[in-house]
Amino acid sequence: MKGIKKLIFLSLLVSIGLALSIIESMMPVPFIAPGAKLGLSNMVILITLVIFGFKEALTVGILKSIIFTLATGSISSLFYSLSGSILSCLIMYIIYNKFSEIFSLIGVSIFGAVAHNTAQVLVASLMMNNFKIFSYLPILLLTSLFTGYFVGLASIYITKNLKKTF
Amino acid sequence: MTKGDKYLIIFIVIISLASLIYIKKFVFNYNEKYISIQVDGEEIKEIIFDKNIIGKTIPINTKYGYNLIEIGDEKVRVIEADCPDKLDVKQGYISKIGEIIVCLPNRLVIEIKGLDNERDVDYISH
Repeated sequence: MKGIKKLIFLSLLVSIGLALSIIESMMPVPFIAPGAKLGLSNMVILITLVIFGFKEALTVGILKSIIFTLATGSISSLFYSLSGSILSCLIMYIIYNKFSEIFSLIGVSIFGAVAHNTAQVLVASLMMNNFKIFSYLPILLLTSLFTGYFVGLASIYITKNLKKTF
Repeated sequence: MTKGDKYLIIFIVIISLASLIYIKKFVFNYNEKYISIQVDGEEIKEIIFDKNIIGKTIPINTKYGYNLIEIGDEKVRVIEADCPDKLDVKQGYISKIGEIIVCLPNRLVIEIKGLDNERDVDYISH
């Protein structure tokens, strides 16, 4: 019974993450810098990580990336989002497990956002064969501070309530 | 929000601001364009503009003739040539991407090229 509950909840999380990413991609983004996103779907991965664990969070992240590609139809974005979510998931897991006394969920989320951006810039520079794209990273890092902060803040409230049910 | 979070935020702000300033100062002023020296259609030399090579002269000796090139502050000219009309010397400095100096008797082409890929980066767009 518990297995089914978990399965359903995980698939719900995937679909929520998918909906958030699709809404996010519809938003007129360049409020600060082109390419910067709110990273709302990062919230889903962070919540999964806190409530279930690393393996489940990685599954949710990868599934979300693949289904998002199927929904929007841009293959090249698959590599960006896959690399971003895998690396950010890994970093967030390490920070959350080993350094949770030092950093709250806000810090974990900022680490995740930074890792996500770094991975994406790395993949972009590899794909375009041009490492000067890294000059764009500082701007992305600055914006990821704000988005990471609010994603972390929201995750704190959500996990507080969700932990009661699980 | 713990103390660690605050330190993390401050740390990232400092790192990214520092690298922004670094990039703006050193990477983008120079290296944007380079001199391409071609003889008989083949590129024999690429020179990237740098502070250290301002005022340097480069002799070009080929079987077609002799030219002496002087590099200035993001500009380049031919100061000596053994061709009869000396049109390349009279042309003076070139500095913009796409400009060329041609010395037809010596089959020499000096072109300023941009590092094309760099323009893909949208640097700042407010």
